[in-house]
Amino acid sequence: MKKHLLLWAAFAATLIILPSIFDSVLGISILNQMTIWIIFALSYNMLLGQGGMLSFGHAVYFGLGGFMSVHALNLIADEIFVFSITLIPLIGGAVGLLAAIFIGSFSTRKAGTVFAMISLGIGELIVASSLIFVDFFGGEAGVSGDRTYGPPFFGVEFLQDSEVYYLGAFWLFVATLLMYLFTQTPAGRMANAVRDNPERAEFIGYSTRRVRFISFCAAGLFAGVAGGLFAINYEFITEENLNALTSGRVLLMAYIGGLGFFIGPIIGAIILTLMNSLLSNYTELWMLYLGIMFLFTVIFLPRGFAGFIMMHRLAWQNGRLKLLALPYCLTAIPAAAFVTALVGLIELSHAGDEGLHFFGIALSSNSIVSWLLLFALAAASAFGVKLTRARLATAWQAANGASN
Amino acid sequence: MSILTLDGVSKRFGATEIIRGVSLEIEAGENHAIIGPNGAGKSTLFHLISGRYTLSSGSINFKGEPIHNLAPYEIARRGLARSFQVTNIFPRLSVFENIRCALLWSEGYRYSFWKLLGKQQSLNAKARDMLEQIGLADKADLPSGELAYAQQRALELGVAVASGAELIMLDEPVAGMSHSEAENAVALIRRITAGKTLVMVEHDMNIVFDIADRISVLVYGEIIASDKPENIRGNKQVQEAYLGEVITDDNA
Repeated sequence: MKKHLLLWAAFAATLIILPSIFDSVLGISILNQMTIWIIFALSYNMLLGQGGMLSFGHAVYFGLGGFMSVHALNLIADEIFVFSITLIPLIGGAVGLLAAIFIGSFSTRKAGTVFAMISLGIGELIVASSLIFVDFFGGEAGVSGDRTYGPPFFGVEFLQDSEVYYLGAFWLFVATLLMYLFTQTPAGRMANAVRDNPERAEFIGYSTRRVRFISFCAAGLFAGVAGGLFAINYEFITEENLNALTSGRVLLMAYIGGLGFFIGPIIGAIILTLMNSLLSNYTELWMLYLGIMFLFTVIFLPRGFAGFIMMHRLAWQNGRLKLLALPYCLTAIPAAAFVTALVGLIELSHAGDEGLHFFGIALSSNSIVSWLLLFALAAASAFGVKLTRARLATAWQAANGASN
Repeated sequence: MSILTLDGVSKRFGATEIIRGVSLEIEAGENHAIIGPNGAGKSTLFHLISGRYTLSSGSINFKGEPIHNLAPYEIARRGLARSFQVTNIFPRLSVFENIRCALLWSEGYRYSFWKLLGKQQSLNAKARDMLEQIGLADKADLPSGELAYAQQRALELGVAVASGAELIMLDEPVAGMSHSEAENAVALIRRITAGKTLVMVEHDMNIVFDIADRISVLVYGEIIASDKPENIRGNKQVQEAYLGEVITDDNA
């Protein structure tokens, strides 16, 4: 129990000091995005990781919460309803919850393919509606608002991104804590049981439909909270924020981070936000790299990055983690070289006539030497990985073997 | 007084009638075994009673009330628990969580999302107590999917019994076990179902005659005899249909 309190205190402290470390405009902007995506990814994991419901339409609740929140900002600006914008995430959450109650009432009858297909269908339905109900969704242009109206919150008017960050961090902390606590309740635990074995859950007295419905509603609520934060942060929202692209992105975040662990989606949201914000400055092909990373995760790290970290628990408990350090480094060097060569090849084929400046070397897609250089590096480093892998495997065995 | 009454229960799959007008009374507190050759419909009968299948005709009463139109979870809530022939637990949950989940409904937690499990001391004590009884206390934190087979069967039994049900139905509880494992399992079954009504399907005749107060013989979807073990042994019809060799061999 004490350990838990310490962990949450550390989480709060991290949230408070982060903007002092990453204090650039870009840094704050990325942190703001992270608060939104972490909540959204955690809410998605209530469905897939904890409840065994594969949804292709979770952005619906995020987006509806976001749209209503932008409208709420406008109501505040027009002085029709006047309240502090710090409460906007509650509006988003309420809308997400209401939408989830309505849709969940029929979509949670079954898990598996039926649930997945209904979620896809609802997603398409809402996207189609967004072009029909232009007053609410604003058509293709979306709707925009202004967060600086309304009564100041203890003198804070949210003119600065850093002020928005602390608002987001507060809601991130509250939402994360509540979602964690949910996993520790009878409803949360039965969600795991229904995920594992719906039939048996019925025979110990639980309606699987009701258990799923409760998780579904909670997931909708927190997705709506994330949508509310999105509205505050960006001050506009479009159809893109509730379509399949956004639903797919949150699935990637949860999966890459690791579905089986509470912290997994947090890691996934951080990785994807960083890729989205930073990698996109360097290459327009960042989506391609994201796709490759997703494939890599599915094939080699089915339990995600969190699962990869947790794989080392036994070695750590045995006090043998240091056995792995050198073999990891020896494999990582050629592996990094291989990735570099691969990226070089991809970028060179995309570079056109201007050529490519790659780590200070001028490469040209018309020069056979450039191609050969990259191919040679790829082949050599792949061979290097193959050579060092055996040693890593042996070290892994030694680190995880029965302790004497 | 009978706790469970089946009256003219039939089940058809398409044109095939698997259960053909079964009537059966289970007395409160008795240990009742249902035996019969492969394909006689024993597991189907279990599925009908526990609500997994719906009846084609007939009625089933539990504690004086009809249950044949209820969903499995509603039947379970009334105090009828069952285990499965193929181990059917929550594989990714720990052994402890498996038992705790089985306790939740009868302990009145329903779908609560505001109570923290860690703070429910009486619930957790009951779960630990059940783990002691089934001999898995030292495996409490292990994911149940990683247990050895006989241990999974013990957990399966624990999940069925933990709910505090009055009537427990066990579908081949010792199938696939070695001789010594089966002996332990029988001792365990006796211990944790003491004072409850037990209905079991089992192939091992030693165990059936050891545990059962009464035996019903199901052949081709019909009960051909339902009586005390010694009378079943002597029943000509039963011997012809099914038991003959097994019983004489055992008693040779």
